[in-house]
Amino acid sequence: MNPAESDTEAQLLKSLPEHLAPFGTERSNLIPILQMVQKHFSYLPAAAMEIVARHLDIPLAEVYGVATFYNQFRFTPPGRHPIKVCLGTACHVKGGDIILENFERKLGIRDGETTADREFSIERVACVGCCALAPVALVGETVHGNMAPSKIEGLFTRIQVEKEMAQRKKRENEPDA
Amino acid sequence: MNQTPENTPESRLAAIRRRAEDQRRARMDTDAPKIHIGLATCGIASGALDTKQAFEQALAEQGIEALIHTVGCAGHCYAEPVVIIDHPQSGFPPIFYHQVTAGKAKMLVKLFLAGGDPRLEHVYGATVENDLIPSVMEFPRFNREKRVVMEKCGRVDPEDIDDYLAEGGYGALARALAMTPEEIVAAIEASGLRGRGGAGFPTGRKWRLAAAATAEGKVVICNADEGDPGAYMDRTLLESNPHQMLEGLAICARAVGARQAVVYVRAEYPLAVRIVTRAIAQAEALGLLGQGILGTDMNLDIEVFQGSGAFVCGEETALIRSIEGYRGMPVHRPPYPAQKGLHGRPTVINNVKTLASVPPIIEKGPDWYAAIGTEKSSGTAIFSVVGDVVHPGLVEIPMGVTLRELIFDICGGVPGRKGFKAVQIGGPSGGCLSEAFLDTPIDFDSLTEAGAMMGSGGMVVMSQDSCPVDVARFFLDFTQKESCGKCTFCRIGTWHLLEILERITVGEGREEDVELLQQLGEDIKDGSLCGLGKTAPNPVLTSLKYFADEYAAHIREKRCPGMMCRALTAYYIDLEKCARGCDACVGCCPTDAVFTTSTRKKGIDQALCVKCGECMVACPPEYDAVRKVSPASLAPIIERPVKPVAEAEASATPAKDAP
Amino acid sequence: MMVEITVDGRVLTVQAGQSLLEACLANDIYVPNLCHLPGMADPPASCRLCFVEVDGMPQPVTSCTVAVTGGLVARTDTPAVRRLQRSALRLLLSVHEVDCKNCPANKRCELQRLARFLKVGLKPKDLPAPRKTPAVDDTHPCFSFYPNRCVLCGKCVEACRRAPGETVMAFSRRGFETILYFDVNAAEAGRCENCQACVEICPVGALVMKAD
Repeated sequence: MNPAESDTEAQLLKSLPEHLAPFGTERSNLIPILQMVQKHFSYLPAAAMEIVARHLDIPLAEVYGVATFYNQFRFTPPGRHPIKVCLGTACHVKGGDIILENFERKLGIRDGETTADREFSIERVACVGCCALAPVALVGETVHGNMAPSKIEGLFTRIQVEKEMAQRKKRENEPDA
Repeated sequence: MNQTPENTPESRLAAIRRRAEDQRRARMDTDAPKIHIGLATCGIASGALDTKQAFEQALAEQGIEALIHTVGCAGHCYAEPVVIIDHPQSGFPPIFYHQVTAGKAKMLVKLFLAGGDPRLEHVYGATVENDLIPSVMEFPRFNREKRVVMEKCGRVDPEDIDDYLAEGGYGALARALAMTPEEIVAAIEASGLRGRGGAGFPTGRKWRLAAAATAEGKVVICNADEGDPGAYMDRTLLESNPHQMLEGLAICARAVGARQAVVYVRAEYPLAVRIVTRAIAQAEALGLLGQGILGTDMNLDIEVFQGSGAFVCGEETALIRSIEGYRGMPVHRPPYPAQKGLHGRPTVINNVKTLASVPPIIEKGPDWYAAIGTEKSSGTAIFSVVGDVVHPGLVEIPMGVTLRELIFDICGGVPGRKGFKAVQIGGPSGGCLSEAFLDTPIDFDSLTEAGAMMGSGGMVVMSQDSCPVDVARFFLDFTQKESCGKCTFCRIGTWHLLEILERITVGEGREEDVELLQQLGEDIKDGSLCGLGKTAPNPVLTSLKYFADEYAAHIREKRCPGMMCRALTAYYIDLEKCARGCDACVGCCPTDAVFTTSTRKKGIDQALCVKCGECMVACPPEYDAVRKVSPASLAPIIERPVKPVAEAEASATPAKDAP
Repeated sequence: MMVEITVDGRVLTVQAGQSLLEACLANDIYVPNLCHLPGMADPPASCRLCFVEVDGMPQPVTSCTVAVTGGLVARTDTPAVRRLQRSALRLLLSVHEVDCKNCPANKRCELQRLARFLKVGLKPKDLPAPRKTPAVDDTHPCFSFYPNRCVLCGKCVEACRRAPGETVMAFSRRGFETILYFDVNAAEAGRCENCQACVEICPVGALVMKAD
């Protein structure tokens, strides 16, 4: 993590109690609170879980036990472009695991991991609900249907181009600012 | 109660409905064309947002006045994005268009809305009978369905309660408020409604149990923690018509005497969460939910709880644990939640489809409902049919329809010339049935008898090109990962089942594995703590029973008859057919496994090949030179030349991927 | 209120509402069990060993979840009961590192007792399973944790909960990956009072006091 990122994380931690305030201190708030924390940080940092444990007055071990039980919670930051490969039934039948493998090979990381530059992370998900388009992968929020290994290269090129366009736009706008 | 005719629930509802109809008329009943766009997750995934934007843009460009009406999903996944254009001035009936891309949208605005030409080549069908164009009701996919739960899906705007009210919504709640709780329970019992969450427990009995409980603070919960990796009807219902479920939930609360309700929706369904939350707020604002419902003394607080993604939380007791803030691990029943549930209070948990079945039952009467379906399984069933079928999607059929009718008549059968091999019903808890079962009627008991189950309503149709062993492995992989880990059988037993299946699918199966799978499967079924564990071996046990020959082929011959198991298959290039100099297969290979031989024909390096099949797709049909075989040993070995042209060139320049 | 029940043909006089497992154990009828601790309001019923057959129930049931009522008739030694018990034990042993002579629990290990009672070999050869790494977790200042000996009976977590002071143990992760978690910082911060209740109650030598 670079210094800028750990700075923002420290700031986020500072503002956490304020976000916790609307939640009651009953145990049944635990999962909604963890969801809020994850929205806040995009993952669950250890320091945040300690604050949650204190807020609800329950052992940290219990908070950790609950958080690690559910698929939704992650303990490392996701990539800027999270890639989700659908491995629901229809996608499996149409070769979703081949798509997953190709992403893994291309990025050199395994499912559940994030690239060193924190650009990409790969996750397997169950049914995103567009079975007629199987196999399906999501990059960020965008759904890509009828995936094929040969389309993956194109996807990355597109992300690269979009990034460069955004940077160019930023540069163009800067003199005005 | 001293209710004058002016302040009965029904008269209050009538006033609310009049206002809703007025507002709707002000917006809708113009002569301007109306464009209905399906915007549930599936539609959005297929690009419906782009389509909507294209319509808006094109309408603005052409200066046409038209109303864009966003609706949910009607279950026709194969046709997404779906658009219905109602253009009364053109003289045509409302028309159903399928796969409306942004380009098609612009074309339709220009030629149909502006020019009056509906472009018949793009029409799927009219939505009503008429003399001009064939109606979709002539297609079995439409006319063989019986819509009770999904009746209003795809017609109403899920984000606008007025639409639901104008379609008669909340009429059942008003009627239920005039009934005694006992009358409601009796009506549900008489309808024969059984829980749509999987096991088919009689809903009336569940309600009666909770209604009889004397403890305070009863709770009703809508279980929308849909976890089957291939089923999505609960999400579709919430995204397309949330009020029907909410109305059912309120009626349930009235019947059992609950003042608190929870809608438990998966956090992975953000759109459903948003729509349900909004629907609750809208209904509360009109006095249809919340405090003093329709002027009576009934109160109901509804909260939305987002499930954090654990399949096991679909199990009642695990779901309760997770709301309470614990690890979602099932606990032993009895006591049943109806006696001792959330925070120890009597709790009724019903699936979305069960609750959405309640308003029509109250509205049209238990006899009407009981007449649909079979004697022991009344009503309708919703299946998400995927896999090798022509028309995949959500289908609502009366119980008792046979598998053959559903798969072949309604969903169009297996595409191409491939024959039917198997159908997997009920997702990870269900089973895999062979052709011999095609005439089995779809109802709770017949499916259970065959070894499958209604389960979540997921249905995967498999052609000859698929492998029941691999599908069993797929589901076991799912349940094994989703096991909560509490009890020995499910935690360790499913791991071993999966390990054995994996061994078989990579060609390392042993003769004794079949016996081991069978025994272990039976033990897990009988010994597990909760429903997840008890049903987890079903995919294995049924495929062992009905597809023993497939297991034998994998184990003895290292052959996968459906050629799905990658380790047992190989691709090779038929040199007789390969064209000299065409590089289509070389270019598309993601691992550089395809190479050029000394005769400039192609070969595949089996050590590098990942069997993605891209080369087979890429090979021009006039050559059709790529072959797939199983067992893998059938592929002829073609030696890679020591220094082929391409590699010689590559080695001359430094490799670009090197770190 | 005391009631009479019949177990394996013997008539027992037991407290009504007591669990059948406790009633049997109190009367010297051994029913295999691992996760049961006396005095638990809601037994976890997770080890799946204490099966018995009860008249009127179609299948064997876990005796820890059956509350006794007068006239109940049960059998602890039927083929169906033994089949499930052996299967569960074999599964537990498949993920257990069997290295008895280097294990402090040798000779007083609950798994050894169960294996002897149920006549099950300690190493089920047809069920190979992976081991967790690291094999020893030494992060806690007082004890070492051997995850490959642990059978997830949950007794240590329950003991920690019952002990005075903060609860510092819980299960973490899920399914096959489930593993005992203890808050190491708690020990350093003095919130774990080093009462050793967890180590003492461990039936399989998965928690062992450090030598010094």
